[in-house]
Amino acid sequence: MRIYFDHNAGGPLRPAAREAMKRFISGGGEGNPASVHLSGQRARRLLEGARAEVALLIGAPPRSIVFTSGGTESNNLAIFGTLHDTARRRIVTSTIEHSSILAPIAELERRGFEVVRLPVDGEGKLLVNGNLDVIDQNAALVSVGLANSEVGTIQALDQFAQAAQNAGANFHIDAAQAVGRIALSVEESGCDLMTISAHKFGGPAGIGALYVRPGCSLAPLLLGGPQEVGLRAGTPNLCGAVGFGAAAHEMMTCMADEQGRIAGLSRRLLTRLQDSISGLRLNGPCQSRLENTLNLTFPGVLGETLLIALDLEGIEISMGSACAAGAVEPSHVLMAMGRSAMEARSSIRLSLGWNTTLVEIERAAEIIPRVWRRLSAVEPEAFSRQHAAEHQP
Amino acid sequence: MSARVLVAMSGGVDSSVAAALLREQGHEVVGVAMRLAPEQPQSAIRARRGTCCSHDDFEDARRVAERLDFPFYVVDLRDEFGAKVIHNFISEYLNGRTPNPCVMCNREIKFDRLWQRAAALEADFVATGHYARIERDETGSFHLLRASDGSKDQSYFLFTLGQREMARTLFPLGSLSKSQVRALARTLGLANADKPESQEICFVPDGNYAAFVAQNAPLERIRPGAIRDSSGEQLARHSGVHQFTVGQRRGLGIASSAPFYVRTIDADTGDVTVGRRGDLVSAGLIAGMVRLTRPALLSCDEIPVEVKVRYRHPPLPSTLRILAEGRAQVRFRSGGPAVTPGQAVVFYRGDEVLGGGIIETGLER
Repeated sequence: MRIYFDHNAGGPLRPAAREAMKRFISGGGEGNPASVHLSGQRARRLLEGARAEVALLIGAPPRSIVFTSGGTESNNLAIFGTLHDTARRRIVTSTIEHSSILAPIAELERRGFEVVRLPVDGEGKLLVNGNLDVIDQNAALVSVGLANSEVGTIQALDQFAQAAQNAGANFHIDAAQAVGRIALSVEESGCDLMTISAHKFGGPAGIGALYVRPGCSLAPLLLGGPQEVGLRAGTPNLCGAVGFGAAAHEMMTCMADEQGRIAGLSRRLLTRLQDSISGLRLNGPCQSRLENTLNLTFPGVLGETLLIALDLEGIEISMGSACAAGAVEPSHVLMAMGRSAMEARSSIRLSLGWNTTLVEIERAAEIIPRVWRRLSAVEPEAFSRQHAAEHQP
Repeated sequence: MSARVLVAMSGGVDSSVAAALLREQGHEVVGVAMRLAPEQPQSAIRARRGTCCSHDDFEDARRVAERLDFPFYVVDLRDEFGAKVIHNFISEYLNGRTPNPCVMCNREIKFDRLWQRAAALEADFVATGHYARIERDETGSFHLLRASDGSKDQSYFLFTLGQREMARTLFPLGSLSKSQVRALARTLGLANADKPESQEICFVPDGNYAAFVAQNAPLERIRPGAIRDSSGEQLARHSGVHQFTVGQRRGLGIASSAPFYVRTIDADTGDVTVGRRGDLVSAGLIAGMVRLTRPALLSCDEIPVEVKVRYRHPPLPSTLRILAEGRAQVRFRSGGPAVTPGQAVVFYRGDEVLGGGIIETGLER
């Protein structure tokens, strides 16, 4: 039995999504929603049905939802799309964002935009006091994540929304990790743009959406046909949209129960681990955190070795963000939270999801301390040498 | 016997076939690629595309693991490699010596740090694609032997292995020839079967060691000086001793009808002494950081051995005497070549590696 604790990277399909996609594929899957004929009409109905379900999940009007290929495309569209005809030269973001925000904004910095990256405190919360002055008449875009993928910290973004509105800047929220885990309303959040993604809450990978507030001026990244009200050319991923819609529909009915159940399992696992591993540290706040996310610093071992050892024992977790070659870099999020590179290297992330069971929690609570003890018995010498190597001038 | 074996995989054909053979023998193979060299500076567009660590070699190794269906991981040993191997490489050149980073990497990384990881992962053995053999005698003692394929033998780089390391190390290719290995790779359908061998030092891919040292050394440690002949007369100036190797002929910048060779390098004064070919011979050498593969050897007073003073040099009949403080003296039976401080000297008896060390000085005739 393999235990999958990596839902923040992307979880398995919910049965509802799987069934809906199966039905779609066994029906032939034909039809382009842009076609005039009956197959086209059927496809269009499915696409618009899915759009309505997704819109409902974040309290948005259906026509404000633009389907994309996922969170990364949504973030790119929001960031590049809002800067097409503005004289404003400043972008405000934070130090702990996902790479699909960091990289587009770094590119814009190279093209001459001024970028302000707001710092966070030791729990990953944005430091707001005195830092919001940068959201002024020169600010074109404020782009921040609602819930952090690595540590789960949930930001209070009201002041950002207010400041952006006062300054006339576009306000973009990356809610890819938050959607399906906490109740969301685009109205209440006061955002102009919101990124969501299907595969973080049981939909398929390869589809996401960008909420675009009606009236918000946005330029497309992909040019071609008039699909998605001209904001995203190309025949839509209909099968993905069907799965996305089904997953969203299920979330509307079960989110509160499901999140309560996952929070209980997560707390149980944390308690069991803390009882058996002295010095174990939870990164991120106790309150205002995605409770499915446990980012933990294990004293005296390398996260990289722990990750491999647990994988060989059947527990799948992750650490920071893996690079293209599969090696792991120390997490920029933990470093921004003030952890040393060594602490970041000793940290791993467990993220639970809709299919996590009590049996898995009990099993993990037995395996993880055993593996940690084994590693800390073998590695301390190597660990201290690695430490010395890092501190060599 | 089925064991868990951690296989160090480079993406080349040798380590891939080593992994395949172990899998075939029924072992539980865990493939590991080591990230060692720091990032190379690259063009802006490549950096922007985020290809910093998508080394093709790792992808080759990953494909082999997928094909043969065993788990594969990349481990990050850049800090240790930088501190132990690259740091040593630079400081040796600055001290007027010519280091052998592969020996250091085997000693400090592959058969030390990687072993720590293996133990943490409950692996019984570490395996590599080296061409060398380990045999166990009836007393339970391990012997490090040359590979069956003499032209590929890599035992020279492995002399730092002791009994403890050999007990937990496997060299599946030790009895095979390179062409057999390539044929096996083709039979197994491995995509890298005909991949050319890597020749350069992995962290200096362009092979320009002097430029690498100059770029990475503190400026005040670069030692310029004079090129002198045996009588002490200055023939030319040079911009740093790190550009020279004992025995070197090319690139001295001296106009002469007959070629000059570097005889000595003095990093304190910056003097590089050159001579004619005939001046280069030495009677033997003193080595430091000596390791022996079998402790029993220590008790012998004078040991008849053959030594290799460079990887590609033929073995020289010699007499070995172990000195105090990890040193050893080697006397060549007949006249030997110039020895290059910093390079490894390896002691052989027949096919067996008895040990080796790092050359400190040559002995005058």
